[in-house]
Amino acid sequence: MINTFFNSGTLDSAGAFFASLLIGLAFGVALERAGFGSSRRLAGIFYFRDMAVLKVMFTAVIVAMLGLSYAKAFGWITPENVYFLHTLYAAQILGGLIFGVGFVMGGWCPGTAAVGVASGKIDALIFLLGAVGGSILFNELYPVLAPLTTADRGVVFGFESLGVSEAGFAFIFTLMAVGCFWGAEAIEKKRNGVAEYWNSNFLKVFSALLVVGAFGLFAVQTRPVPVPTPAGQEQALLTSLQEGTDHIEAQELADHLLGGAPDLVLVDIRTPEEYATFHIRTALNIQPSDLPAALAPYKNKGMIVLYSNGMTHPAQARDSLARLGFGNVYQLTDGLQGFLDTCLKPISLRDEPVSPVQAAKIRAWRAFFLTLPPPVTKSVTPAAQKER
Amino acid sequence: MNPKPYSNPYLVGVLLGVTLLASYLILGAGLGASAGIARVGALCARIVAPAHTLASQYFGAWGDQPLRYYLVFMLAGVFCGGLLSALLANRCALGVERGARCSSFKRLCLAFFGGLIAGFASRLANGCTSGQALSGSALLLTGSLLFLVSVFAGGYLTAWFVRRQWYD
Repeated sequence: MINTFFNSGTLDSAGAFFASLLIGLAFGVALERAGFGSSRRLAGIFYFRDMAVLKVMFTAVIVAMLGLSYAKAFGWITPENVYFLHTLYAAQILGGLIFGVGFVMGGWCPGTAAVGVASGKIDALIFLLGAVGGSILFNELYPVLAPLTTADRGVVFGFESLGVSEAGFAFIFTLMAVGCFWGAEAIEKKRNGVAEYWNSNFLKVFSALLVVGAFGLFAVQTRPVPVPTPAGQEQALLTSLQEGTDHIEAQELADHLLGGAPDLVLVDIRTPEEYATFHIRTALNIQPSDLPAALAPYKNKGMIVLYSNGMTHPAQARDSLARLGFGNVYQLTDGLQGFLDTCLKPISLRDEPVSPVQAAKIRAWRAFFLTLPPPVTKSVTPAAQKER
Repeated sequence: MNPKPYSNPYLVGVLLGVTLLASYLILGAGLGASAGIARVGALCARIVAPAHTLASQYFGAWGDQPLRYYLVFMLAGVFCGGLLSALLANRCALGVERGARCSSFKRLCLAFFGGLIAGFASRLANGCTSGQALSGSALLLTGSLLFLVSVFAGGYLTAWFVRRQWYD
């Protein structure tokens, strides 16, 4: 499965910047090849003379929509991996109307103006200077405009707004696009006398492909989610036990925690008294009966590691959680006792010789885990955990 | 050398759609252009009035280095891609694009104020034709689809008044 820069919180990394540059490069090539380095061609759609903007944009929207829908349906990408823009009715409708005025006056939009500058168009450069000024103007007026940005509806999909199925909406949307393509060709034919693709075999095949592609979504999106049978679930549990994939070794856990481990939730399932006496640093204290509710926010996100003094209770709790659909719960090999013996036992007390590398690790672990954490006197409630 | 003809708009649309898809699958976010321009605006504001800009609500939230943002790099990529493609197709030519009876000055004034309006509006709507109309619509987001419709409504309502910059 894909893990995007957005999902891993690394959109500000050098890797993401480089990927953005390459994606921008393809974006720029596409815009230029479409002829969008010419403001006259861009503005043509507003005078029904050159409908290229409609053809290129609507095709791109449909192709990306179909691609994403299939990627989602086949489980290649999960919704958490994608940044969805929020819906704010007033800001987007008013912003859109004003933007349209600027678009037709200036003859450019921000992306195409960058291509226009690359093509030597002085008006594109002037447009961009204006756009920089407009951004600064917005910042200065922001205190006045802020009320428009408070009516945030969150992530809203068009098919939700209309109360139809996702596949149905996508199909109608695709039909609209194909209708617009034929309409655009008809307009160009009427206006200019010629239309390159009107009634062409190319447009017929292209239209058919899009419609078939959209129709296929009905098949994949309504595919029933396989419900695990009790027998299959038990088999999976037994397999993970046999292969040891339900464990995490003490040293591995120690290294994870020392490195910050933002995606790891460590849970001490012993009594609050035992927890207060000693616990592994960063561990939460949750009683076994509270586990499903308290861990719900972390279900199938990152890693959940359970420990107790030994291994019986965490193993039972882990199996129970697995039956409840938690696929990311592990137990600490040999429990707290094993952790103390493996990681925190002073080198001088060990029977076997310790390599210099291992000795350095043990010193780092001891420094980290034996530092007194802030006093925790009572069990953490689920509400308090979310703010971790 | 004469400029080469433009590509088939539908096939270019497929290329653009695949680029957008790649952006979602790799970055986890769509294409964008206006945010890169706004970041340049924030940098300019920081140079002219550093304390005021850092204290402002909107630009202030972008921190000390507004250009350290993925969409700034994407905008740089758009410029480079456009340059590459224009050079290969012999479409690089310095000039002001306008109708025969429209003065350069008038065309540049319209371009400047059009840019000012579009730049402002793209901040209000949190995106432009790339970020909202194209990327948001591909996700079938209600707000982005409404933005798309509104852009064309605003454009068609204004088109008649500025027609003389292109056509006589």
